[in-house]
Amino acid sequence: MTPLVLRLTLVLLLLAAVTLAGWWWNRRDGRVRRADDDATTRVAADHLDAVGLDLAGADAGAVLLGSPTCTPCVAVERVLRELSADRPGFRWVKVDAADHLALTEAHKVLRVPTLLVVDGDRRLLARTSGVPVAGDLAAVLDGDEDREGAAA
Amino acid sequence: MAPRDGLAYDADGRLLIDVRGPRFGAAITTAVLAVALVVQGPVGVALVAFQTVVFAVATVLGLAWSPYGTLFRVVKRRLDLGPPPATEHEGPPRFAQACGLAVAGAALVLFALGASTAGWIAVGVVLALSTLLATTGICVGCELYLLAERTRRRSAGPRTAAETEGAR
Repeated sequence: MTPLVLRLTLVLLLLAAVTLAGWWWNRRDGRVRRADDDATTRVAADHLDAVGLDLAGADAGAVLLGSPTCTPCVAVERVLRELSADRPGFRWVKVDAADHLALTEAHKVLRVPTLLVVDGDRRLLARTSGVPVAGDLAAVLDGDEDREGAAA
Repeated sequence: MAPRDGLAYDADGRLLIDVRGPRFGAAITTAVLAVALVVQGPVGVALVAFQTVVFAVATVLGLAWSPYGTLFRVVKRRLDLGPPPATEHEGPPRFAQACGLAVAGAALVLFALGASTAGWIAVGVVLALSTLLATTGICVGCELYLLAERTRRRSAGPRTAAETEGAR
């Protein structure tokens, strides 16, 4: 192979590998990751105070970590508004991740938007990075909130 | 930089850009750097230098003056691509341009020092990231913007509770 053909081959391989990696990443993006049943992680009460999420009397809550310049965060907010509309026991807040470094470090939040879903007892139910599908989040909320109720 | 006519700004005077623009620009960057990496030699280095200037203009003057962004607006008008599906603040993509500038600039320095293999590896890194944005819409530099902001704010000292409350 002449050097030119070799370099052309390498560049094409690079383009293909990067595209494949990106495709895989996009497929993962927004996937709702449920917490393990046996592992109980709680979001610290003072972290919830700091973000202003009051779980008193609530069935579940969510903290959306965003940033002022984050476009996908707006899409996550739309999903949360939709979910809370017919779930009076579900409360959520949106905060700027950069203002809550203690929370982001405790839960290894590396990017925005990240959503942390907790039950009324601060137990972490699930988390997502990217824009989740409303139905996937509803399944998490209704699984613990409305076990015998009709499927939403 | 003074606001530029015909562009959208938010209430705080921050530029809002069409989300399709950075992806269009990344496609051109990918083409320029892929050709540079294949041909190498003086022509390849000249292409890398050209791309570095493009990054520098977008970083220093802002995306309102980005050469590829300006080209995108012309193409958009000519082909009648319609209104933006969404807009975003220029902060993250502009930071991504700065990342491109840093690595492409490092490549030029390596070429000048005679370390051309290392220089072409640096060009390969920029090519990989621009390809990622062009083909899948993932902007790694934009994601890094949050990390950069965090570091900046932390070194500026933590905000007081009252400030955080006011910002909400």
